[in-house]
Amino acid sequence: MSKTPTVHFEAASTLAVVVSSNEPLLFLSDDQKVIAASASFCRAFEIDPATVPGRRLSELGNGEWAMPKLASLLTATASGSAHIEAYEIELKRPNQKTRQLVVNARTLDDGDIDHIRLLVAVTDVTDARAEARLKDDLVRDKAILLREVQHRVANSLQIIASVLMQSARRVQSEEVRGHLQNAHHRVMSIAALQRQLSTSTGGNVELRTYLTQLCQSLGASMIADPGRVSIQVTVDNSAVEADVSVSLGLIVTELVINALKHAFPDERSGTIVTDYRSSGNDWTLSVACLWGAMHPRRDWGLALSRRLQRT
Amino acid sequence: MNNGIAVVLVVEDSPLIRMGAVDLVLSAGYEALEARDADEAILILESRSDIDLVFTDVQMPGTMDGIKLSHYIRERWPPVKLIVASGATILEESNLPMGSRFFSKPYDDHTIKDAMARLLSSEISIGPSEEPFR
Repeated sequence: MSKTPTVHFEAASTLAVVVSSNEPLLFLSDDQKVIAASASFCRAFEIDPATVPGRRLSELGNGEWAMPKLASLLTATASGSAHIEAYEIELKRPNQKTRQLVVNARTLDDGDIDHIRLLVAVTDVTDARAEARLKDDLVRDKAILLREVQHRVANSLQIIASVLMQSARRVQSEEVRGHLQNAHHRVMSIAALQRQLSTSTGGNVELRTYLTQLCQSLGASMIADPGRVSIQVTVDNSAVEADVSVSLGLIVTELVINALKHAFPDERSGTIVTDYRSSGNDWTLSVACLWGAMHPRRDWGLALSRRLQRT
Repeated sequence: MNNGIAVVLVVEDSPLIRMGAVDLVLSAGYEALEARDADEAILILESRSDIDLVFTDVQMPGTMDGIKLSHYIRERWPPVKLIVASGATILEESNLPMGSRFFSKPYDDHTIKDAMARLLSSEISIGPSEEPFR
């Protein structure tokens, strides 16, 4: 490093840019004397601007910038052997909270190779970090709350389902038992949806999984001989809003219960086909009964078609 | 097994759900015992040696939840079959002892009855039993 006895003057434009920098910025000589500091730097770290020029970095303020780690990094940067990019340090001042800083430093490349000077940007990220942590905490709290709510809903549905089934087992009248079992099916239909929603992201319900689960649960509780009657579900890739899926689920529940009760008298065998497909705003939901090989395919007349008006 | 009838212990802290579960066990033709939490369940398991299956909730007050309880039971009474039910759907059977079954709440009575019948009829041994009474 050549030591010139002559005083070196910095270009006025460089100094003006440094001083007016919105981000706290230091302009240092290679021996870490402050040539200029931005007004934002002085404001952010409570340093009197008048005391700054010519002072060593380690002497700024009450000497809180005398950090060996920072000094060695700046020396390395000045000699060209290191780059400081987003280096994190802690600024400790008496009677003040420790601030977390992110430091970026580089040599000024203005063609003057005899005078190595450093540009050091110092960003105080303490508040941003605290905010990010707060946000993380909030997100975690929300997730815990959501899980808790889902858990409570599942438990409440379990209580309703249990009470309905207990009553259904106790009651003498065949007709009342049927009603109670149907009510139980409806509760389970809502429960299947709830389960589907709790595992889905965004609140849209994928109909194939939902209707398949729903029909499986209906079949499991209502079909005595799975070899005789089965339920087939064919659904395209449609996903609908939760509100819509509640209605679709209840419609399918009613139609499938009806079909299971009335479409296969006298040990007749066959398949119930639940089908849903959509194209644009149009969709078709059908529940059809296919009787055994002796009968030609016959829709049971329970096809519903609706046009969803989205406004 | 008690007089040829399988004995099922229901562990559930909610009284209404417990009543329903006991009723379900009875309607399936088994003998039902009930406990409010894991500690009570362990006391019952220690006091008698005829319990074939434990049907437990997961979230319960007390020293253990249903998952810890199921591992404890598998460790201490290996032949006892396990069914675990929870309101949390994320739980996987891989968190549970080998051979136990998991169902999310609300469970379907028929599905549970079916699982109980399968577990109780299975002859799969889970490991050498150290319980001299079995």
